[in-house]
Amino acid sequence: MDTAIDIVLKFVAISVVFVVVLLVVAYTVLAERRVLGFIQGRLGPNRVGYGGILQPFADLLKFILKEDIVPDKSTRFIYFLAPVIATMAALMTMIVYPFGPDTRIPFTSITIPLVVARLDIGLLYVLGITSIGVYGIMLAGWSSNNKYSLMGGLRSSAQMISYELALGLSLIGAILLAGTLDLFQVVEQQSGWHGLRWLIIFQPLGFIIYMISAIAETNRVPFDLPEAETELVAGFHTEYSAMKFALFFLAEYINMFTVAMLATTLFLGGWNVPFLDSIFARGTFLFGLVSAIGFLVKVVLILFFYIWLRGTLPRFRFDQLMNFGWKILLPLALINIFITATLIFLRVPGFS
Amino acid sequence: MLVLLFILFGGLAIGCALAVVAQRNPLYSAISLVGVFISLACLYVMLAAPFIAAVQVIVYAGAIMVLVVFVIMLLNVEEEERGRRRLKFLVPMAVAMAAILIAEVAFILVTVQEFRVNPPAGVGLTHSIGTSLFTRYLLPFEITSILLLMAIVGAMTLARRGGLLSTSARVIPGVTTLPRSLVDPRATPDDLRPVEADSTDEAARLLGVTGLRDHSDRDE
Repeated sequence: MDTAIDIVLKFVAISVVFVVVLLVVAYTVLAERRVLGFIQGRLGPNRVGYGGILQPFADLLKFILKEDIVPDKSTRFIYFLAPVIATMAALMTMIVYPFGPDTRIPFTSITIPLVVARLDIGLLYVLGITSIGVYGIMLAGWSSNNKYSLMGGLRSSAQMISYELALGLSLIGAILLAGTLDLFQVVEQQSGWHGLRWLIIFQPLGFIIYMISAIAETNRVPFDLPEAETELVAGFHTEYSAMKFALFFLAEYINMFTVAMLATTLFLGGWNVPFLDSIFARGTFLFGLVSAIGFLVKVVLILFFYIWLRGTLPRFRFDQLMNFGWKILLPLALINIFITATLIFLRVPGFS
Repeated sequence: MLVLLFILFGGLAIGCALAVVAQRNPLYSAISLVGVFISLACLYVMLAAPFIAAVQVIVYAGAIMVLVVFVIMLLNVEEEERGRRRLKFLVPMAVAMAAILIAEVAFILVTVQEFRVNPPAGVGLTHSIGTSLFTRYLLPFEITSILLLMAIVGAMTLARRGGLLSTSARVIPGVTTLPRSLVDPRATPDDLRPVEADSTDEAARLLGVTGLRDHSDRDE
């Protein structure tokens, strides 16, 4: 009987996470268009619904109704497989992020952590699934049988391999401090000092390296060379139309969302809202609710930061991108690990 | 439940492995190999070794196979027909290896009666693997690292040993000065005596190098 309840709870949790994520992603797209509009001195989409609030649904309808064009000389099977891999890999990481603390469901005595699955290897799971996502882009570029797509796919894979290293190494400092790969425990350890003992205080360099390489991992400005429209038409998804293009689009924004969630979880205290424990008791429903909202607010702030960057910075050149990744970010990440390990070894207060 | 999952992932692994060998297109083979690695990772999870599963996905599926696919895409390898004849001597070898493998499996099936294994708790978890890697098995671990370092240094020296003119290199019309080592494969790498020529062909003729232009017109 207990396992049955467990399975039902898991399905409910997965559905809730799925809906929340897709809603946030849909409105990130709208927010991006509106914010970019304001940065560039124009309005952005504001006609569908109040202030453009229904625009994501209008977009979705348009994507579904558009004609789906498949290039004649494409490699059919892989051409269809690529957007599926991209979206699936993006969605699969959702289950390990802790949205909130242990919370009692109202009117019952069941206490559940607001996370779909607590894995011993949570962080490695995220890194592994993210690295699978590269195949979506690479195979899309290859199977379209278009030189711009191929160039986009090649660039993207080179870029993602290079920045994955810096990204992974920048997290090691935080992991050394937390002493576990279980993301739920990492967040719980940051709940000291009335919910303000965030790891960014001890890992400022790691946080900066992570943020930069995360932008490169999600192929966004200023690292959006795989789809540089001035050089490559639209990069790896040049030949994709209608819903298949929408899947790539979706995957890109989900990836943005996941890197923002990982940054929040590891560096910005996850669901810890400062001084919340002096208002509500831990474990109550309201504590969990406010914590989860706090988590989403932090994530949305990081997403806003990304959109802001997109409106501000020009694009890198490819050799600059490679030099920056291998000659600056990677050594910096190694130095960060060295410093953190030394401080832990010397038992400096806060680093033990 | 577990048995069903085992049959699912084991079958996937075997099917993908067969596809790796059977496919003509190298890219399809590579993708099938990714499938093998992921199915194996799922099997590791079922054996209560999540850390090894994660490493399997990150290292093999996420890094090595990405590089393999990258190279296949970069070189645009077509379906290889010619190579089949050259590698014919491998067929009896393969048959022999398969025979040995089947014999091993048969031996295990015949001799081992009890299949139940009780591993010590937490053997595949991050903590226990980390502890044993950095205490009991520190020396093998370090030696493996040195092996990888040697591979990196070897790749560097191979890549930096100058000599052959790259197929994408062109002498721009007009008098151009190039270091001899760049155009002449027989020159020592530090031979800096300049060659002056108006075109790549002329540079090759002056140096007595032939066959340099063979590949240069085949731009992808």
